[in-house]
Amino acid sequence: MNDVLAGRALTKRFGQTVALAGVDMAVRPGEAVAIMGPSGSGKSTLLHCLAGIMRPDSGEVRLEGTRIDDMGERRRSALRRTRFGFVFQFGQLLPELPADENVALPLMLGGVTRAEAVRRGREWFAPLGLGGMEARRPGELSGGQAQRVAIARALVTKPAVVFADEPTGALDQTTGHDTMRLLVEATKHNGASLIVVTHDPGVAGWCDRTVEVRDGVLLAAGARA
Amino acid sequence: MNVGLTWRLLKGGGRRGMLGTWLTLGAVAVSTALLLFAVAVDFAFAARADRGAWRNPVAAGSRPAVAIEASRHDYVRGREITVVDLAALPGRSPEPPPGLPRFPAPGEVWLSPALAGLADRLPAAELAARYPKRAGVLGDEGLVHPDELIVVAGRAPDAPELTAARSSDWIVGSQPVKVASLAGEPTEDAEGYQVLGLIASVLMVVPLLVFGGAAARLTVARRDQRLAALRLVGATPGQVVAMTVAEAVIVAFAGALAGAVAYALAVPLLTRVRIDGGPWFVADLWPHPLVMAGTVVAVPLLTGLSAVAGLRRVVVSPLGVAKRETPPGMRWVRLLALVAVLVAVPVVSRGDSVGLIAVVIGLAFLSINLVGPWVVGLIGRITAASARRPARLLAGRRLVDDPRSAWRTVSGVALTGFVAGFLGLLSPGTLAGTQDTGHLRVSAPAGQAATVAQEARDRLKRAGVGAAVTTRKDVVVIALKDATPITDEDARRRALDGAPAQAAPAALDRARTALTGLVPGRTPTTQADDEYFGGQILGDIAVGTVVVLSVSFLVAIASAGITAASSVLDRRQTYALLRLAGTPLEVLDRARRAETLIPLAVMGGGAILVGAFCGVPFMITDPNLTGLVTLIVCVAAGFAGVVGAGALSRPLLRSVTADPAPRPD
Ligand SMILES: Nc1ncnc2c1ncn2[C@@H]1O[C@H](COP(=O)(O)OP(=O)(O)OP(=O)(O)O)[C@@H](O)[C@H]1O
Ligand SMILES: [Mg+2]
Repeated sequence: MNDVLAGRALTKRFGQTVALAGVDMAVRPGEAVAIMGPSGSGKSTLLHCLAGIMRPDSGEVRLEGTRIDDMGERRRSALRRTRFGFVFQFGQLLPELPADENVALPLMLGGVTRAEAVRRGREWFAPLGLGGMEARRPGELSGGQAQRVAIARALVTKPAVVFADEPTGALDQTTGHDTMRLLVEATKHNGASLIVVTHDPGVAGWCDRTVEVRDGVLLAAGARA
Repeated sequence: MNVGLTWRLLKGGGRRGMLGTWLTLGAVAVSTALLLFAVAVDFAFAARADRGAWRNPVAAGSRPAVAIEASRHDYVRGREITVVDLAALPGRSPEPPPGLPRFPAPGEVWLSPALAGLADRLPAAELAARYPKRAGVLGDEGLVHPDELIVVAGRAPDAPELTAARSSDWIVGSQPVKVASLAGEPTEDAEGYQVLGLIASVLMVVPLLVFGGAAARLTVARRDQRLAALRLVGATPGQVVAMTVAEAVIVAFAGALAGAVAYALAVPLLTRVRIDGGPWFVADLWPHPLVMAGTVVAVPLLTGLSAVAGLRRVVVSPLGVAKRETPPGMRWVRLLALVAVLVAVPVVSRGDSVGLIAVVIGLAFLSINLVGPWVVGLIGRITAASARRPARLLAGRRLVDDPRSAWRTVSGVALTGFVAGFLGLLSPGTLAGTQDTGHLRVSAPAGQAATVAQEARDRLKRAGVGAAVTTRKDVVVIALKDATPITDEDARRRALDGAPAQAAPAALDRARTALTGLVPGRTPTTQADDEYFGGQILGDIAVGTVVVLSVSFLVAIASAGITAASSVLDRRQTYALLRLAGTPLEVLDRARRAETLIPLAVMGGGAILVGAFCGVPFMITDPNLTGLVTLIVCVAAGFAGVVGAGALSRPLLRSVTADPAPRPD
């Protein structure tokens, strides 16, 4: 019972398509798990169910022992804002906000004053190699830099779990690996767990273990480190 | 060449792409319909002026005279009747005026349909007895408007009506004039209305053009990402432009057709708007087929041009759009333009040419439109800098990022605010009049006042109308008995014939009827009759203000609704991802609202002030409470409309952010 997040017997269909056909998956505190599998196998769907973005048709999801899958949208939304962090492939940063305000936004949404939120947000820039980029807008950052800003934004609220869906999918391999290493290290450093969907075995190598989804079922649970 | 590809692009946008296309189509339809209206107004006033020209005789001059014509006004139940006296000169057989099958013979009278109807409804002693020998009814060709009260009386050329001198004030009527034909020329009255119509058109067209431009950009806005991608894969600028323009033109053409149909459907309603004493003939508001065709062709072409302008950015720098760099700052030169116009207004408007008014308004409009984005950007910087809550911050940054798009949303209201400010000062409620209907007055030929007074006494007695008839110099004054005194202090001060009073309408009309022809060529009138024209033109300005403001607000609200919806569409991916990460929809919505409301309040208010400033030189009376209240009500309605229109896109926001796996398309 020391899993931070646990999904049990999750199923999800879209019309005729069975996206998840009974998946069990649990993550321990501070653990980094990679989800791999062919395109269309149900990786994103699994991530969305675990993150409370989507409600599974059946099965349950517990965060620190509390069921979250049957919560209303409002509560799940609040939960995502406070307890989870997200890194997507791209397009998650508000183009008109400078980088530091993009990072500060989740804190401000949580009621932290603007000055304090921006101060706390800026603390992430130097460790992520973003020193001096605070005032730049997303359009003025490289893809890798923008993803690091997104990582800062995902971590700034000190979430329990960070979800990443192909966070380096839009980057070249070297940049992707650098970014991934930063993501894993920063998450670990913060004591957060990480669930990352990826196609890149190299990226998966940075994680504690890898699970493989095929046609909506979990194939082999890799060894827990 | 590219039509096939364009068509696929048009359809390939998916459901949401199609939604954008529908929005553009709707926007173009609204602008086309309103544009047709704005243009039709001018043609309508011109048509009225032409149809009414025959009562305004032009002296024959060197050409051979064929007839004598004179006109004056009579009144019934507080409405004005135009009385035209006509006589063919001996040995001449002039063409009849429009609406008459033949030239009226001496003694004959021809009534307009509305007057004939009224004469049949009212007791004969109140109206019909004024026209003993009715020969027939005037056709529509000779009427300014369908409800017009007009009577044409045939006379002998040496009849006293056509030989005695009359007042030469054009408001009262026209002297007997020998004419070479009954073509006449538009009356000063009609020309005045044409000028007012032109001003109204300018006030409506400029916001429409801004809106139309915004509508065209909308097509581009949704496409620019994809087109930038096309550029990146090597499409030539020419191909990109051709495809986008073709798409914009196709959609705009469909919209223009829809707008023309919508306008056609609205015409029967619009004909009911009463200006210059009556409603309109359907044909007046029906644009000439060439105008109609021209509009339906011109609107798509303008849309295409606007699309080209919007695309310049994509074509010049494909990366600019794809990467969304900080836009170059707006130059403060724009502000200088406004200041220049503001300085010019008082100087220029000292001249009293009417075309000038239109030019001044047009210039002020354009400079507001130039300054608009710059000021919006400034407002955005202030908002962002002072924001404490996320919604404000988002709104402020968004205003800084894309002030033009925010300006598009509020420009309608800002320009309308300008109109409201301009007209709010110009539209006086009612003329301070006496409303005295208790006294009829008529001036007698020199030295005959006593005889005329006696005749009046006899006639009134026979008609059973109680009245006291007195004379003052050459003026015969008939004070009706049983009139209710008017207590208003102001009216008392202005009254010419003793204590002002209000006579019963029936008694007054009986007296008028009994006194018909008392002094040939002159009408006994009350002081209220003499105030009729002034009151009417002020009332018409008020009606015109409401019409112009309604059109401007329709434009403003439509543009707010469409821009809000398209901004949601443009940013759907970011909105969706923010919502995934737990950002409450309300914050996004509040940010969107603030994004419109803040510039709306500042720009709307500013524009009203600028409008009021530009209106000052044209003020003819003191501003009044009614004008001010109209202004405030209109502004409140405009704000509410814009906010409401923005709120309509909320379900759209909900739906585009509901997709848990948003993908860029
Ligand atoms: N909103 C939806 N409506 C209908 N079908 C869906 C929807 N979302 C996912 N699916 C289907 O469910 C299945 C699993 O989709 P999912 O997005 O989870 O795959 P994935 O493993 O993330 O693929 P990829 O690696 O390509 O991202 C697919 O067959 C997909 O077509
Ligand atoms: Mg996926």
